[in-house]
Amino acid sequence: MRKTILLMIMTLLWSAPLLAAGTQYKLRVDGLSCPFCAYGIEKMLIRTEGVESVTVDLEKGLLIVKVEEGVTLTEARLKQLVHDAGFTLRSMSEQPL
Amino acid sequence: MRQTFLAGCLCAPLLFSATFQLSAAPVTFNTALPVSKGEGVVRVQAKYLSATDDPGPMSRELTVKALPIVGVWGVTPRWTLFGIVPLLDKTMELDMPSGRSKRNVKGLGDITTMVRYAAYSKDQLGSTVRIAPFAGIEMPTGTDDEQDRFGRLPGSLQLGSGAWNPLIGVVATAQSLEKEWAVSASYKFNNAANNFERGDEARLDLSYHRRVWIGGPTDGLPHFFNAGVESNGVWQGKNRNNGQKDPNSGGTTLYLAPTLQYVTQRAITEVALQLPVMQNLNGNALKQDFIFTLSVRLND
Repeated sequence: MRKTILLMIMTLLWSAPLLAAGTQYKLRVDGLSCPFCAYGIEKMLIRTEGVESVTVDLEKGLLIVKVEEGVTLTEARLKQLVHDAGFTLRSMSEQPL
Repeated sequence: MRQTFLAGCLCAPLLFSATFQLSAAPVTFNTALPVSKGEGVVRVQAKYLSATDDPGPMSRELTVKALPIVGVWGVTPRWTLFGIVPLLDKTMELDMPSGRSKRNVKGLGDITTMVRYAAYSKDQLGSTVRIAPFAGIEMPTGTDDEQDRFGRLPGSLQLGSGAWNPLIGVVATAQSLEKEWAVSASYKFNNAANNFERGDEARLDLSYHRRVWIGGPTDGLPHFFNAGVESNGVWQGKNRNNGQKDPNSGGTTLYLAPTLQYVTQRAITEVALQLPVMQNLNGNALKQDFIFTLSVRLND
């Protein structure tokens, strides 16, 4: 019984980082047309609380936004952030990390 | 007084430094500078103007060195504020009864503030189209009563106009990852101060840039190298001295400028050489040779 409890605790501890990995948002953004202006949207998103990283793919008009566990960015919030940066959010999807 | 026109040609493009969520933006005019809401962009330019083709008897040679500092701030996604602070160094060499003489002045010129509203925008994958009217005012922060050992400098060599001069205009841009078009039209209403009034000024600026190289880091935003051509059509009305039109002032100049830009996420370095391909100036005007511009733009 002790072994079983110990094993369960170890399993939980081992899987904790995975459970706490957060969420990844893929944003399709229209209007991205140069590195200098894309940096504006990168800054805008990275300043948002809970955002861990932002990766921009100019050619595909794609932004990958990773957020901490427990942080949720609604479509309305992301749409507003993209709009404030001077662009248009075409679509988005999210998946747990 | 025709040198007023030349100085205007050099300084006026500095005035039009609005903001836009657009990329590289033109070198010789600034109405398409990009910025996001709550973000700032600073553009510092070093300009050198030479005008030595003097059909008159005084063999005038004018050089103007200018260092305009342009600050741009995105108030909202549509409204943008900006200010242009020009530092000027003007030198005129000419034949006088006492022999070849030099007249020089340097210091702060007239500061311009502007606001721009993005009235229309259409974004697509990798491209954007914007149209934005703008308005501003040139403030009399530069001195207009500078003197040297020959007496008061002519209005053309003064650092400022001494007047509050409003301006209006509109800028349109179309940009993709590969190329960019921009057109800007503007009009500045110059007013009188100390019995001198510069002629009003109308401008039509065009720009075409094309990406010729892409590189930089593989795990981040790429770097672009753009080549382009810009043109600036400038018309200036005749100056007025004590209410009388100066027949030897104002006229029309058309410039063509090859440009190069190196664009990264944090900075843009760019150069342009404006060559006057047509100068139809009134009276006995001093014609320009060229304007060279070196510019650096930084994200905050």
